[in-house]
Amino acid sequence: MRDYWVSKLFFDSQSPPLAEEYRAGRKKVLDRYPLKPEVRAAVESDDVAYLSALVNPYLLRFYFLTAGMPEEDFLRRIRATAAPPATKAAHG
Amino acid sequence: MAELAGVYAASHGPMIVRNWEKLAPAEKDSLTSAFSELGNRIRAARPEALIVISPDHWVNFFIDNLPAICVGVGEAHEGPPEPWLKAFPHRSLRGHLALAEHIVRTAIERDFEPSVSYRLALDHGFCIPLWKTGVDPLLPIVPVLFNDLEPPYPSVRRCFDWGTMLAAAVASYPGYLRVAILATGGLSHSIGEPTMGRIDEAFDRECIRCFERGNPHALIDFLNERLPGAGNGASEVRNWVAAHGAARGRGFELIRYDPIPDVYVGCGFASWNIS
Repeated sequence: MRDYWVSKLFFDSQSPPLAEEYRAGRKKVLDRYPLKPEVRAAVESDDVAYLSALVNPYLLRFYFLTAGMPEEDFLRRIRATAAPPATKAAHG
Repeated sequence: MAELAGVYAASHGPMIVRNWEKLAPAEKDSLTSAFSELGNRIRAARPEALIVISPDHWVNFFIDNLPAICVGVGEAHEGPPEPWLKAFPHRSLRGHLALAEHIVRTAIERDFEPSVSYRLALDHGFCIPLWKTGVDPLLPIVPVLFNDLEPPYPSVRRCFDWGTMLAAAVASYPGYLRVAILATGGLSHSIGEPTMGRIDEAFDRECIRCFERGNPHALIDFLNERLPGAGNGASEVRNWVAAHGAARGRGFELIRYDPIPDVYVGCGFASWNIS
């Protein structure tokens, strides 16, 4: 399931003029998108894990690249969303 | 009647360009020689037009209108919009209108339902292979976009059938024309997922063996089982499957396979045995 408006924000942010405006000040750009309050909060706090459940993974990656998050930071955050390995069942 | 002059595949990972300066010399050599060999083979086949099969990386389409497959029927298409591809030497790429229209007609006659676009922006999926193979001047192209990025994807079998149809369209084209097909993307990679950066080398090597052996049924069965676990970028192997269909499943010759962590991609290059 995709969240349309945050997907639209991420899609639009590929436009260099919008990306520049966004980096200069997010609030003005975010006000143009009818994001749900919890989704807007996740965008404002760079909550990669929360947003990863709402958008296409490529758009997620493009957005954080555009927003200026260093690649290593993004990799660390997205990898942390992996489900923990199942613990071994006890035998005996 | 046109002639299918060659069928090829190449990876197109953005980091081939974006991260070029950070790649190890051996990795640069590997990619350079692979693209160069591919370019040599394309030139040797003397095509006059090129059908390029690649995904759209959220450039032309969005989730409010996302075609499974789109054929570019314009007289010209725009060059790559990615800011990091400014060095790509073409802002406009010439389309082959007559061939594109014939492909669409053939598709409809054979019960396929392509969408069409009269002006596409061709992103790195098209432009990195076109650039790095060094085929100059650029050939007029027919871009064919497969949705490899956002489910629901076209089925692997449907992609094979698309390739078969493309070969039939070339064969029935009214007029002499040498046409090559270039499928881009793959092999395994993972973008924006928890496994981002992982290359599934075991998948890639078995996938390559399936393409080499030819047998379309075995290839399709393998991909139906293993594609979902090889990273979201591996979905682009669908484009290679279409090339396989165009080559009538006759198997390909691997030019190079190199899993390069700094590119995030199991990089593959191949040409099919069509003679």
